[in-house]
Amino acid sequence: MDRKKNELTGAEIIWECLAREGVDVVFGYPGGAILPAYDALNKYTDKIHHVLVRHEQGATHMADGYARASGKVGVAMATSGPGAANMVTGIATAMMDSIPIVCITGQVPRAAIGSDAFQETDIAGAVIPVSKHSYLVMDINDLANTIKEAFAVARSGRPGPVLVDIPKDIQTQSINFIYPEAPIVIPGNNIIKKANINDLEEARDLIYNAERPVILAGHGILLSGASEEVINLAETANIPIAWTLLGSGAIPSSHPLNMGMMGMHGEFAVNNAIQKADLLIACGMRFDDRVTGNVKTYSPDSKKIHIEIDPAEINKNVRVDVGIFGDLKTVLKQLNPLLRQKSNQNWLKDITVWRSESLERDIINLQTDTLYGAQVIYDLWKETKGNAIVVSDVGQHQMLEAQYFQHEEPNTLLTSGGLGTMGFSLPAAIGASFSKTEKEIWVIVGDGSIQMTITELATAVQEQANIKIAIINNGYLGMVRQWQQLFYDARYKETPISSPDYLKIAEAYGLEGFRVKKRNEISETVYKVQKIKGPVLVEFVVEQHDMVYPMVPAGADLHEMINRPVHDQFQESEM
Amino acid sequence: MKQTLIVFVRDEPGVLNRVSSLIRKRNFNIESLIAGRTDKNGITRLTIVLNEPDKTKQKIVVNNLKKLIDVYDVVDATEIDCHIREYLLVKIRSSEVTEKIKVLIDSDNCKVLEKKDDVLITEFSGNAETIRKIINEMKTINILELMCSGKMAMVSGFNEEHQPELIQTDPDIYSQISTDLN
Repeated sequence: MDRKKNELTGAEIIWECLAREGVDVVFGYPGGAILPAYDALNKYTDKIHHVLVRHEQGATHMADGYARASGKVGVAMATSGPGAANMVTGIATAMMDSIPIVCITGQVPRAAIGSDAFQETDIAGAVIPVSKHSYLVMDINDLANTIKEAFAVARSGRPGPVLVDIPKDIQTQSINFIYPEAPIVIPGNNIIKKANINDLEEARDLIYNAERPVILAGHGILLSGASEEVINLAETANIPIAWTLLGSGAIPSSHPLNMGMMGMHGEFAVNNAIQKADLLIACGMRFDDRVTGNVKTYSPDSKKIHIEIDPAEINKNVRVDVGIFGDLKTVLKQLNPLLRQKSNQNWLKDITVWRSESLERDIINLQTDTLYGAQVIYDLWKETKGNAIVVSDVGQHQMLEAQYFQHEEPNTLLTSGGLGTMGFSLPAAIGASFSKTEKEIWVIVGDGSIQMTITELATAVQEQANIKIAIINNGYLGMVRQWQQLFYDARYKETPISSPDYLKIAEAYGLEGFRVKKRNEISETVYKVQKIKGPVLVEFVVEQHDMVYPMVPAGADLHEMINRPVHDQFQESEM
Repeated sequence: MKQTLIVFVRDEPGVLNRVSSLIRKRNFNIESLIAGRTDKNGITRLTIVLNEPDKTKQKIVVNNLKKLIDVYDVVDATEIDCHIREYLLVKIRSSEVTEKIKVLIDSDNCKVLEKKDDVLITEFSGNAETIRKIINEMKTINILELMCSGKMAMVSGFNEEHQPELIQTDPDIYSQISTDLN
């Protein structure tokens, strides 16, 4: 029977359209205004798996994690009012990190809109500043086209979250359904793919004449799938690469031209190279304040080339000499053949010297009685051989992860970079576990962050999501405590935080739990954990007053770093 | 220097909300915003005047407006010759009209809409300077009501560069798809 000729309800049209977009998993939570859609889901269970979350914020983070891990559009669903409102944080998170998700919400019936009806929220209006676009469907004849357009908007150009709000009476209405096969044309969504030749030639000359060039590798490389082209650019002209937090994995960590992460918690050598550079080639990044430090003194002597798909980012935070609008992969494919080989010997030698200085200050080799967060993450990297997707949360552990877990492949670090949403990691990892990845998925999360969305443990257990949750427990909101120590005379107001007994939590939720207090227990525990299918939790009890170094204080010049203290013991062993 | 933008948007509910929300989000001050229909079906034309002297920030707002899905195109008329016009409605008492105000009322840019029971309603149109002068003159007497339309801009002459890109934005594409559904 040809479905196209059938009369379908609005609720059925929703699932029909999702299936046509290739959606096979939806993260959601039912409720009054979305009930018709959930009822219709009964007919689509062979095509679409629904994951029942425990809070709608979790649904958006799961859709987000799924999108980051799979490269597809993630879908979240919720009811009107509180259900929709709970999605706002997840939508804002996806917006800041350019992640394509589509959120479908139920709305009160059309006749009740504007009457302050039970569970009514103007969600399409509420998410305007934090979404790429939002729709309120007021005619069933627009429904299929709107959903199709929502997916097109979410994944095109600079991706982002899109919300489609569907009144309950539209879900129950029926029409003779014809799927809009024609490709979507979005008038206001003009996307430039290619660069113009003048800009390319200007960029080529700058690269050729530069003596101290640096590539700034951003999230755009992952979104555009341009790793190969960036490596090509770097290798042709021997340009060292610094990456942003979300650019982690864009180029293999082991690549000889990889310097490391830049910015607030980047290595001194990396930030120093940026400050001393005479050319920056920014690839798919946006000069966030966490990356630049004080913009007035940021890389003062360099010319700047900025390749970016979003023209609104060019000259937003940092003035550039050549701004190239376009898809990074396409632009680099145009630019790379124009380049000539260069060695930049002296520059690379300088950087090698600076790098060896930072490595000497490393904490991971310390022999101490207490366990350090950095050691846990370093050992997790060793034990997993780096062959994992890490979903980190927000705080000290997030920065330590970026410093000590070496990513060799794109899309193997999923983290909330722009918005810094605590509570992101557990739901995002559950979402990522539906991406059909062969890799182990490790959640690296602090004791503060896990408690924000700990309810999703139930979802992980119900779905038997194959995730390994490493809680780095230092008894503090560590990063906030670090700021209090450095900038508020160590007045630790409201940062000591208690935790439940995580082993009991694990037992109560129905997953296996482990606790590690000594470094020599890590290896064996990880081995045990790896044998377990489904969710498993490991608590690492670590040093309470640990700090993340190096650090550029907010607003300070990028080269004015607080460096890692040189530990006595380490100095002795060197002698 | 004030920034004058001509913005072409999809004629749909909530579009003005999106435009003003973006301007608020980027922390710009709207001096004047006016919206109206055009000859093209489904396209609303806005003229927005912003108080923003910083050229870099001016570019940011243009680029961000262009990113909105409902925005077809933006013409930044700040540094190009254009006619910026305003429309003014004034209600005063006929008995209070001074010699100077009478001169204004007799001028080409004024039309008397109503004159009865000592009430005089007039409309004026002109550039910002003319309108400002008229308002100042009116203030010398007792104004019963006054309202200014906000600024409407049209680029002077014809220059391809300053034409909005509306070619691929034919709203018929939309009507076509929705007729398919019917």
